[in-house]
Amino acid sequence: MNLTAIDWIWHVRGDVPLAPALSGEDALDRLSPLFRQTGTSYERMTGLLRFRKQDPAAQDKMSVFDSGTLQVEQAPEGSVLRYRLSSKALLYCFLAPLLFLALAQVTIGINMLGKAPDKAASAKPEPEAKPIPMNPIDKALGAPEPEQPKKAGAKGGTANGGGGGDADEDGPRNRKPSPTPAYVFAGIFAVLYLVGRLLEDRLVKALFRKTLAGA
Amino acid sequence: MTGIRVGKRVIGADAPVTIGWENIPKVEGGPVKRFIFTWFQPTMLFALLIFWYYAPNSLAKASTAITIGIAFKVLLLLLEWVNPRHASWRLTWKEFATDLFYVGLGYTVIRLAGFYLGSGAMTKAVQQAMHWDKITWFVSMPLLVQAFLIAFIFDFGQYWMHRGMHNWYPLWLTHSVHHYITQLNVNKGAVGNPVELFLIGLGVGGFFDFLPRAALMAGAFGLAVGTYQHINVRFNSPRWWRFLFNTTEHHSLHHSLDYEATRSNYSGTFIIIDRMFGTCVDGEAELLGMEGGRRMSIREQMTFPFTEGWKTLKEKFHRPVSLPAE
Repeated sequence: MNLTAIDWIWHVRGDVPLAPALSGEDALDRLSPLFRQTGTSYERMTGLLRFRKQDPAAQDKMSVFDSGTLQVEQAPEGSVLRYRLSSKALLYCFLAPLLFLALAQVTIGINMLGKAPDKAASAKPEPEAKPIPMNPIDKALGAPEPEQPKKAGAKGGTANGGGGGDADEDGPRNRKPSPTPAYVFAGIFAVLYLVGRLLEDRLVKALFRKTLAGA
Repeated sequence: MTGIRVGKRVIGADAPVTIGWENIPKVEGGPVKRFIFTWFQPTMLFALLIFWYYAPNSLAKASTAITIGIAFKVLLLLLEWVNPRHASWRLTWKEFATDLFYVGLGYTVIRLAGFYLGSGAMTKAVQQAMHWDKITWFVSMPLLVQAFLIAFIFDFGQYWMHRGMHNWYPLWLTHSVHHYITQLNVNKGAVGNPVELFLIGLGVGGFFDFLPRAALMAGAFGLAVGTYQHINVRFNSPRWWRFLFNTTEHHSLHHSLDYEATRSNYSGTFIIIDRMFGTCVDGEAELLGMEGGRRMSIREQMTFPFTEGWKTLKEKFHRPVSLPAE
């Protein structure tokens, strides 16, 4: 299958022009220390460097990439370093929104399956809710009075959750998990992917440029 | 490496650690910066407690707590940027994305499992079986006492669960994954195998019936103390704070590359529980992790407890084939 149309999702490509005085081999010599890192193996050929990373350290400047090729080519304007780097982290981040959307559907499905017994339970008469006491110290210090449970049959008002008319009314322990967090994380990962794709592209280019300049 | 004798133990024989508060670096910079990073932690804790104590009923809800929790963590991420503890713990895009993936699992899969199988279901079952929901004496106590008891009892349960994880191999298999993190950042507390995250969430505090306001105040201890276990910020925590509460320093020792150091500081919020049971070591470490600091991928973190468990079982029950003598 030809993936060239979509492989920009997890590949970063770019080029850095070399200074006229810098030969191709000298350029790769300068870049080599970047690949002498924990979990990184690389091989050199004439004008070419190939690397692979396995469990790179968190602070490895190229930890986001798993493999790649750097090649020095001759262009009309002079020598240029072209690189093609592959990143599973970018690919998984791109796919993460789909995972969280699926989790939202799973949450909805499980909550629907759990509805039947709840309905049966609600058919039973609810025990008389006791009034919630307030300690005199809290009263003296001016804390708001706890909301009292509503009469039997009225919506909400359990001893755990107090009153109120929103999603919190049943108390955090009695509320069914909502699919909303999964939707939120799908959105977060979509944004995170865009940030990562642009940021890591810029960072690696700056890293190569700085290393080649000998700074 | 010789290590440092702490009581009956020798800490730091495998990897460098700093022992003793007097040896831990202080916040560097002008008086304003030093003031902020000395008083930030107590100020935020007291501010949250006061907020939940006086918040009107319309605000004292779990949804407000979630909003505050997210805003607080964003603030802490900014502090990591402004005043990092170690340059070697700097948050990268990949680390941030990895941590956030686990945070996402916590809000989705683990919450779902917790609701139907874990502490939510257990609390209901225990309350119904024991009629604990009839115990109103607890909700008659002052709010702050209720909040402290909820937080302390929950942390006490977590302490023993965590200590158990470091001492019983089947539990260690699930927890070991979390010890492969090589740096501490705000969301690193969420990193681990989902089985472990489910187990560590089981606590006894939830078995009590309590006022929702007290539960929100108890949550403030978790947010404004427990969160500092995993953070890359240098604070000058006041002496009383670090005596009572867990700090980044304590927890960095717990995550150290040094084996003996990892067998200390098990509590999540109240380090005084470790002091009670003789497992507290005051100090810090920069080099963290397992296997010399190998960073584990998410895929391996998901499968590691099962693959390692299977390997161990095979080794245990493998019968050597007897070969005929030549």
